[in-house]
Amino acid sequence: MPKDPLKTRLEIAKSKILRKNLYNKKDNPSSIGTAFKLSTELVSAVAVGTIIGFIFDKTFGTKPWFILIFFFVGVVAGITNVIRSAKNMQK
Amino acid sequence: MANPMTQFNVHRIGPEIKVGTFDISFTNASLFMIISSVAILIIFNLGSKKNSLIPNKIQLLAELSYTFVSKMISDTAGLKAKPYFAFIFSLFMFVLFCNMFGMIPYTFTVTSHIIVTFMLAAFIFIGVTVIGFMKHGFGYLKLFVPSGVPAVLLPLIVVIEIISYLSRPISLSVRLFANMMAGHTMMKVFGGFVISLGIVGGWLPLSFSVALTGLEILVAFLQAYVFAILTCIYLNDALNLHH
Repeated sequence: MPKDPLKTRLEIAKSKILRKNLYNKKDNPSSIGTAFKLSTELVSAVAVGTIIGFIFDKTFGTKPWFILIFFFVGVVAGITNVIRSAKNMQK
Repeated sequence: MANPMTQFNVHRIGPEIKVGTFDISFTNASLFMIISSVAILIIFNLGSKKNSLIPNKIQLLAELSYTFVSKMISDTAGLKAKPYFAFIFSLFMFVLFCNMFGMIPYTFTVTSHIIVTFMLAAFIFIGVTVIGFMKHGFGYLKLFVPSGVPAVLLPLIVVIEIISYLSRPISLSVRLFANMMAGHTMMKVFGGFVISLGIVGGWLPLSFSVALTGLEILVAFLQAYVFAILTCIYLNDALNLHH
């Protein structure tokens, strides 16, 4: 049977790949990808917070207050975003 | 010196088509979207035509990208995300081909426009939210309430979580758009330096230009990868609620 040697070879190759993945997890392309990720994570949350504050101010007519509050809430959200994805990177 | 931003101009090809007040004419952006979609279709049709055990080059390309995306999904989102393979695969391929076609001189980079990337990201965002609500019902709202938070802080935390959830499509789209636009502008600026400094001083910006082209090809691949992997991560949040 020509199929059996192929099967065993496939199994050997699969276990090799599995072992390789366990050892050099650092080497995958996602590490440089997550580095790109962190920068925009911070900015976008601040932007969303400010936009929400701006919309609230427009609808309620309380000009500077909501935008001030939501700006800082957005900063906090951005920092939690960055910390969260940094934690995911370490996993 | 040529304006480095003219490469991003969208202009009409062929007649003007209007539906109501919307201009839906065929533009160079639509042309390059169609070119990349057709290229993907051709490559994968040729690649899956002959299933030989020893693959030829196109089949190898198709199989490699298949295993790459399939491994990415199972690594980040688990087995439950397998039904969404087709969507993530086509998304990854579309972004990758748009980015790569933009690297050819005199072409148009579709992904360097925020409206294109934002539409992709908004589609993903809405889709993931709908999937989350379908799988967990209103229990999906638990995503906004992390466990182990004192009741006093809860209103603030919920607001912060909602903002960080809403920031996903923005960060997803801005990342791709900003990387592509900044890279292409930089290449154009250095190309302009080569012309204006002439044969005497033009060699330094030329070497920069060559290095930047390599970097841009890396960025083009990487941004497509990041776009797809973040979709997987968001999908993972929606499928396996673990807060």
